[in-house]
Amino acid sequence: MRSRQRFLSGLLFLLPFAVLLVLWAVLVPWFDVNPRLFPRLSAVAEAGVESVRDGTLVGHIGASLLRVLVGTVLALVVAVPLGIAMGVSPVVSIFLTPLFRFFSVLAGIAWIPIATLWFGYGFGAITFVIFNAVFFIVTYNTLLGVSTIPPAVRNAAASLGAGRWAMLTEVLLPGALPNIVTGIRTGLGFAWRGLIAAEMIATNVGLGYMLFVARDFYRTEVIVLGMIVIGVLWLLLDRLLLAPLERATIERWGMVQRA
Amino acid sequence: MTILFKSWHHYLRLTQRFPSVGSIVPFIPVVALWWLVTALELFPRVFLPGPGDVLRSFGSLVYKGILPDYLQDSMVRLAVGAFCGIALGIPLGILIGMSRHAHTALWPVLLFFQAIGDIAWLPILVIWFGYGLVSMTFVIVYTVIFPVVLNTVLGVRSIPIAMHRAALSLGASRWQVLWEVVLPGALPNIVTGLRNGLGYGWRALIAAEIIVGTSGIGFLMFDARRAGSTVEILLGMIILGILWYIVDSWILAPIERATGQRWGLVSK
Amino acid sequence: MKSLTIRNLSKTYFDLYAGTNHTAIHDVSLEVAEGDFVAVVGPSGCGKSTILNMIAGFIPLSGGEILVGGRPVKGPGPDRGVVFQSFALFPWKTVLENVAFGPKMRGVGKAEREAIAREYLALAKLTEAANRYPNELSGGMQQRVGVVRALANNPDVLLMDEPFASVDAQTRMTLQEELTRIWQEKRPTVLFITHDVGEAVFLANRVVVLSKGRVLDDIGIDLPRPRSWDALNEDADFKALSNRVLQLVRSA
Repeated sequence: MRSRQRFLSGLLFLLPFAVLLVLWAVLVPWFDVNPRLFPRLSAVAEAGVESVRDGTLVGHIGASLLRVLVGTVLALVVAVPLGIAMGVSPVVSIFLTPLFRFFSVLAGIAWIPIATLWFGYGFGAITFVIFNAVFFIVTYNTLLGVSTIPPAVRNAAASLGAGRWAMLTEVLLPGALPNIVTGIRTGLGFAWRGLIAAEMIATNVGLGYMLFVARDFYRTEVIVLGMIVIGVLWLLLDRLLLAPLERATIERWGMVQRA
Repeated sequence: MTILFKSWHHYLRLTQRFPSVGSIVPFIPVVALWWLVTALELFPRVFLPGPGDVLRSFGSLVYKGILPDYLQDSMVRLAVGAFCGIALGIPLGILIGMSRHAHTALWPVLLFFQAIGDIAWLPILVIWFGYGLVSMTFVIVYTVIFPVVLNTVLGVRSIPIAMHRAALSLGASRWQVLWEVVLPGALPNIVTGLRNGLGYGWRALIAAEIIVGTSGIGFLMFDARRAGSTVEILLGMIILGILWYIVDSWILAPIERATGQRWGLVSK
Repeated sequence: MKSLTIRNLSKTYFDLYAGTNHTAIHDVSLEVAEGDFVAVVGPSGCGKSTILNMIAGFIPLSGGEILVGGRPVKGPGPDRGVVFQSFALFPWKTVLENVAFGPKMRGVGKAEREAIAREYLALAKLTEAANRYPNELSGGMQQRVGVVRALANNPDVLLMDEPFASVDAQTRMTLQEELTRIWQEKRPTVLFITHDVGEAVFLANRVVVLSKGRVLDDIGIDLPRPRSWDALNEDADFKALSNRVLQLVRSA
């Protein structure tokens, strides 16, 4: 019964897209739109099939995802311990908060020019941009998360015999986790945009590059295909990985009422 | 130890009286460290110029009039984009928030178009509108509108049904309910959405200026990149950071606090 | 279970924002015998929570000493269990994991500590709630968890800081009755802080009245146990004692 309900609501979710696709399939040939301005649905589908068959699409997607993965993992490995270390002391966190706000503003795209200068065009520069987008926001959020743990909760753990290590793993880390997850979600949002922008400028493989090259040849069907792929990938990443993670921690624990 | 304690207490009192002090002082050691690293030439100057170089280039760009022009271009684009984004986003958000049918029909599509992301639109926009203001404005409006719409919907839906009923039983018409209950009730969320939207819009602007721009701070940075001038890139980054810091923490954050926290709707 | 001794305790704050010293506790001495139940009452701002925080080791003392079982204490430790007004449960742990936290910190194995936790949950009639998260429970249920979490760690002294102040009146009476029952069963040494005179007289063997950082009086409560609100509400002795304490608190 419940699975049927979920199936129905999923169908309801997909219905507007079906309408959109039908409109596209009907209206574009109807008005005879110039394919250099906007492609027909069939052309995009053909481009999709072709790029899957010759392996270019998989190559672009793989390159983009690898960069995001490497940049994000590196950023998390540094950001979470740093954020916790800084958040433990209120003195340090009051002092450093403005700094991290400043740098989280610069997150991602603003680093592209200097990153390409430091690392040259290619993997290094793009990974650096993603690292930056995730690092500052996650550090800032971790710091915030630790400082929002009520002192009574930390006291409770101490009076129940928690030592330094247990305080870290049993209290500070889980206590800051909702903020960390929110930070990852926001940071990845910026990183994903930064990735596309950086790939347009600084590389010869990846989804952003695929779009930008297609523009040179007015191949709108490839551009639209790329946009759809970018949208679907982010939707999958956000809705299937990040949002459930956020819900699982925040709502179940009832720690932060999210808007 | 007591000296540290005392000076920290003086610092806290100072930041209480002048909050801006607390947001400036922490940067002093960072700039000092930056100066030290460049003075010791740990990295080649070409890669990492010092604070003095950046300051000099700031002076000369202001003197030539390039910087004020570019700054104005960027700010105007952001302002136009933000205004259009709000003007379209809030009504759309209220519509989707109040009508079940609009929600079913539009919500999934909204999520998808948000996911495509502003920057991915740039190539096709360049084909449609060429390099220039229209493409850039489109990207910013596109970026600002989604957080505003999504948060407005959340705000409208978070208003307790009892509040609608209270207003109706006190004799309010549908329009009065909209104006007196729904809009103020959703305001804290709308402001949060606007703050997020501008955060994204700002980055989109920079990206657009870098990729398709002919003027603006982002263009300044990319032009400097082509000329290999690290000084101007760093200058651009610092200006971006300071500008956004001012806009965010002196304008947007106080507005957010004034609505949400004052009314006790958002617990921070 | 051990005794708790406080000798010439004092506390002076350095107020960061005012930049001056402020004395919150003047020379307080107090003795809680092994297995005794002592309540400290006083108006808000009289320093009662400061005393408890010092005993618990959350804030340093300015003068005097605190002994548990004759040995001086330093910092927070599992010998003194604390029940907080704000409950201070770990929201990311289930009820069972919360109660098993103390034994886990001692290095007790998983099966054994869960058995301990279940035993204490049964004591507070919480068996059904074992796998729920604190957020999913009512305030009264949460504080039951808070009490047994402290008890399950088998502390020498149980410190309770206005534990029932933030639950509704009906629930508070039930919790008070349950606490007296659990106390009779386990006989822990309890120091109970409250501003509610009726609560202090109902629960304790002795009531200490505190005012402006000093001990005003120390009154023995020789009401029979087990105690219940049904019986005591109309009891003349209870009323007389409550009135006497109330007069002291109001004169303070």
